[in-house]
Amino acid sequence: MSGFIRKRLIDDNAALVQLLGLCPLLAVSNSVVNALGLAIATVFTLTLTNALVALIKPLLSKEIRISLFVLIIASVVTALEMFMNAYFHELYLVLGIFIPLIVTNCIIMARAEAFASKNSLWLSIKDGFFTGLGFALVLITIGAIREILGNGSLFNQAHLLFGDLGHSLHVKLFDNYQGFLIAILPPGAFFVLAVLVAIKNKISKN
Amino acid sequence: MNRFIKIPLVLAIVTFLTSALLMVSEDLTHEKIAEQKKMLLLQSLKQLIPAELHDNDLIADAQTIHHPELLGHRKPQTLYIGKINNKISVLAIPATTPKGYSGDIDIMVGIKTNGEITVVKILEQHETPGLGDLIIANKSDWIQQFSNQSLHLTNLKNWKVERDGGVFDQISGATISPRAVTEAIKQTLLYHNGFMQNIGEET
Ligand SMILES: Cc1cc2nc3c(=O)[nH]c(=O)nc-3n(C[C@H](O)[C@H](O)[C@H](O)COP(=O)(O)O)c2cc1C
Repeated sequence: MSGFIRKRLIDDNAALVQLLGLCPLLAVSNSVVNALGLAIATVFTLTLTNALVALIKPLLSKEIRISLFVLIIASVVTALEMFMNAYFHELYLVLGIFIPLIVTNCIIMARAEAFASKNSLWLSIKDGFFTGLGFALVLITIGAIREILGNGSLFNQAHLLFGDLGHSLHVKLFDNYQGFLIAILPPGAFFVLAVLVAIKNKISKN
Repeated sequence: MNRFIKIPLVLAIVTFLTSALLMVSEDLTHEKIAEQKKMLLLQSLKQLIPAELHDNDLIADAQTIHHPELLGHRKPQTLYIGKINNKISVLAIPATTPKGYSGDIDIMVGIKTNGEITVVKILEQHETPGLGDLIIANKSDWIQQFSNQSLHLTNLKNWKVERDGGVFDQISGATISPRAVTEAIKQTLLYHNGFMQNIGEET
């Protein structure tokens, strides 16, 4: 893995190290399918906004750059929302408010400001994609852990993402599992994130 | 270039470009979105008015109704009518309640001639994920308690959530959304009564 990619996926991971974008990370990670849906949408948005910001780089000036980023990010997310509504209608209905809320994911603003506004188009696209992927992997991991602990299942409701194929993805891991309720409630998200951050720190130290 | 000209100019250009992006996206998606909504509605209609309860063309026999007071409609809505041998068997009544936690909740209720509910469908809602959105069928089975209910089984006075002294379950920690939906269902039952009476008087 090149240093560029490794930095974005692991060493400087947006969720585990920079602790950015916690709102969607904590709110939508109560099942793998929800996490996966939002993860894909976030990677898309981040790649696209980075690309657009890099394209208008010659126009940016100090006073209005933030307004321009907001304008671009909000438009891209709104467009994405329309496309999801059209082509993944049921998933769109499930993710609901969290799609427009991608706008408020500060990772996107952070990458526009710190990277895309200063680098070439191709590098910005790569940066957006891999930063997004790093965030997505953490989101999906938390989703999986919480779903296993909370429901004793994995890929519940996967048909929303994968159509009929999804029904066969759904696995019940334990029979008669009572459910560890706190894992799917908001505090569970904090606990799981804390454990992941601790593991990441431990590994980096060695 | 003078920055008092450059800055507004740049803002204008980027606003123009992003608006163009949105216009193109809207143009590319709006037909597909309408199609998806219609497909979902047709799927819902199959449960609202089951095949064995009608032999007519539901789309052809649909009526446009507009009852802002009784059913909360904000614009004219479609009432679907199931008939057997040209006699009404089921109505699928659209209603809107403004009392959700986050704005309007649109529902559709299937009611047989004897006043019994077939199913209740939530068509559109924006309630909080994990709280209010448990009213939709694929998130919890809360809404199922209304199937086979009627004003004969549960009178008007008790047609409320338990918290308000009625008979229907609420969702713990989220009473507002269930309360709104329960009341909207009651309104459709009242509308159904009125509708059937009118028919009776006409024939
Ligand atoms: C951020 C937030 C979002 C909420 N969303 C909803 C909602 O969508 N639907 C709902 O009925 N209650 C929602 N509630 C809870 C209501 O404010 C209210 O406390 C609850 O409906 C009362 O239910 P209870 O009587 O069972 O405690 C939300 C509360 C908070 C803080």
